[in-house]
Amino acid sequence: MIGLFVLLFIATSSFGSDIDIFVIDREGRPVADVAVYALRLDGQNDLPAPTANAVMDQIDKQFVPHVLVVQTGTAVEFPNSDTVAHHVYSFSHPNKFLLPMYHGEQHPPVTFEHSGVVTLGCNIHDHMLGYILVVDSIAVAKTDENGKASLSLDNPQDYEINIWSPRIRDRDEALSKTVVTPGSPEPEVTFHLAKKLNPPHDRQSRSTPWSEY
Amino acid sequence: MVRVLILIAAIFLGFAVQAINAAEAPDPYKLRAGIDISFINSSGYTSWTEGFVGKLRYDDSNDGLMISRAFADFEIQLADTFKAHTVLEAYDDDIGSTVDFTEAYVEWRPVPQSENRYRLKLGLFYPRISLENITAGWTSPYSMSYSAINTWVAEELRTVGAELSVFRRPAMFGGAHTIRLQGAIFYGNDPTGSLLAWKGWSVHDRQSRFGDKLPLPPLPVIQPDSLFDDQDPYVAPFLEIDDRAGYYVNVEWRFNQQLLIRAMHYDNRADPTADEGGQYAWATKFQHIAAHAVLPGDWELLFQWMTGSTVMGDVVNGIGDIDADFDSMYLMLTRAYNRHRFSLRYDKFAVTDNDQTLQDDNSEDGDAWTLAYFYEYSDKVSIGAESLSIKTDRFSWQYYGLDTTRTEKQFQLSIRLRFGN
Repeated sequence: MIGLFVLLFIATSSFGSDIDIFVIDREGRPVADVAVYALRLDGQNDLPAPTANAVMDQIDKQFVPHVLVVQTGTAVEFPNSDTVAHHVYSFSHPNKFLLPMYHGEQHPPVTFEHSGVVTLGCNIHDHMLGYILVVDSIAVAKTDENGKASLSLDNPQDYEINIWSPRIRDRDEALSKTVVTPGSPEPEVTFHLAKKLNPPHDRQSRSTPWSEY
Repeated sequence: MVRVLILIAAIFLGFAVQAINAAEAPDPYKLRAGIDISFINSSGYTSWTEGFVGKLRYDDSNDGLMISRAFADFEIQLADTFKAHTVLEAYDDDIGSTVDFTEAYVEWRPVPQSENRYRLKLGLFYPRISLENITAGWTSPYSMSYSAINTWVAEELRTVGAELSVFRRPAMFGGAHTIRLQGAIFYGNDPTGSLLAWKGWSVHDRQSRFGDKLPLPPLPVIQPDSLFDDQDPYVAPFLEIDDRAGYYVNVEWRFNQQLLIRAMHYDNRADPTADEGGQYAWATKFQHIAAHAVLPGDWELLFQWMTGSTVMGDVVNGIGDIDADFDSMYLMLTRAYNRHRFSLRYDKFAVTDNDQTLQDDNSEDGDAWTLAYFYEYSDKVSIGAESLSIKTDRFSWQYYGLDTTRTEKQFQLSIRLRFGN
């Protein structure tokens, strides 16, 4: 029994490989909050069922986090930490949904069965904007303030590393790179963006919010 | 005194409603009420609110310590995509009933099926003009008295009809930009323009309510046996007189909370020869442009410009019996330092009289400086001070034996109390 564990441990450590991904903008500055995910090049992304729910909260009339990246089939909770009502929707085909969230009401999480970008809005607070990126991969991460993310790739396969952010305007071809694992000679992959980024979404932090009048 | 008591009773009623709502989960209700307790020192001609010509809301025999404003702004979510919004405003003056509506409408907000979002408003509401009046009860967080443009909006403009908006935040720009188109069809607003021609531009904070009868100066042309002697001594600006609908279209572009630009074309399409029940229809149209920009150092610049015309009576050779062009602009610089906010505004305004009607020269030319400060003690209490100076050249003041140039001044200290969820 112990031997089996040892064998498994050896197996995972020998096949497993961490890859660091860096995202750098046109001026050479790191880009934070970029979703990063790895797809198997052989297309065999047969995924285990997600075990944990993800959370997209509403705090101070903002979606938190602004960008969430999850594996296909993940259930996402929308807890509403605000004292005001929200009315969250997505018109993104085929992940359309509608979630009236009045204070104190319970509602089940939303399961995203299709890959793609889900743009979130609130029908009560028009300025609210959030994104859920649904991908056929268990290897997902987001870049930190240093523009860095790490992915664990456990299978001896060739992978395609992809990045996504609502701020990135580069063509799709520039947003994916092929890596060979395990034992890839390059333990890191850097994306140098060529186009100027879209400005970040405002956090509505001013003392006087701009009105709907 | 009775009015003050009614006012206080209304305010307590507001608190009671709020307390009941607060006891349970407040959603989907939103009630925000406010009272401004002010000390006002005003000098100038007797105010237009007293039926004379002064441009301010108060004058030296009508100032001191008072409740200058009391309002209740109530929103209720009737269904997931329907909300109703009403604003009640209480004033202790002789212009209307103590409490009346400034706005009352329902809004349909269908769930978006694409990047386009639609909004349909039905009822009584402000057209999307002011950059200043952005908080509950159409209050300005920048100053107590509104710019000349928005003071006129408060006096004589309201949509009584339907307004459709479509706006989108294109994904290709990462959601940073919003473009909005609006169109409205409305009835009412036929007498709109009367006050602007006959009294001129003003700078104050009084918002007309639906049933208000706004006093006119004792104009020679509305006296018995004069040209417009059917005119009541007041204007009821939100009446429909000729059964012709008016319209406006508005476009807006917004970049996050950094820059906002608006442009509107408004036309009440009134028949200038129509009159009914002591009120005339004035053909009033204008263009409006507005910009709000956040500058480096967190300074904010607000700008609005309006130019238009109003015509009443028979039109001969393209000129009406009463025919005036009106123009105004302001620039405001404002900055918040933690709980403090300073605002400085410069207003410029003019009315150009195009007709030859005797004893009715409505030309004027003027400007105004407003310096305002607010300290936000808490969510519920702010303290403010404002100094206002408005200088006008107006020929018609000689009809009343007054100097045609006058600088009117006002100093106001206020405590703003705010309640609600």
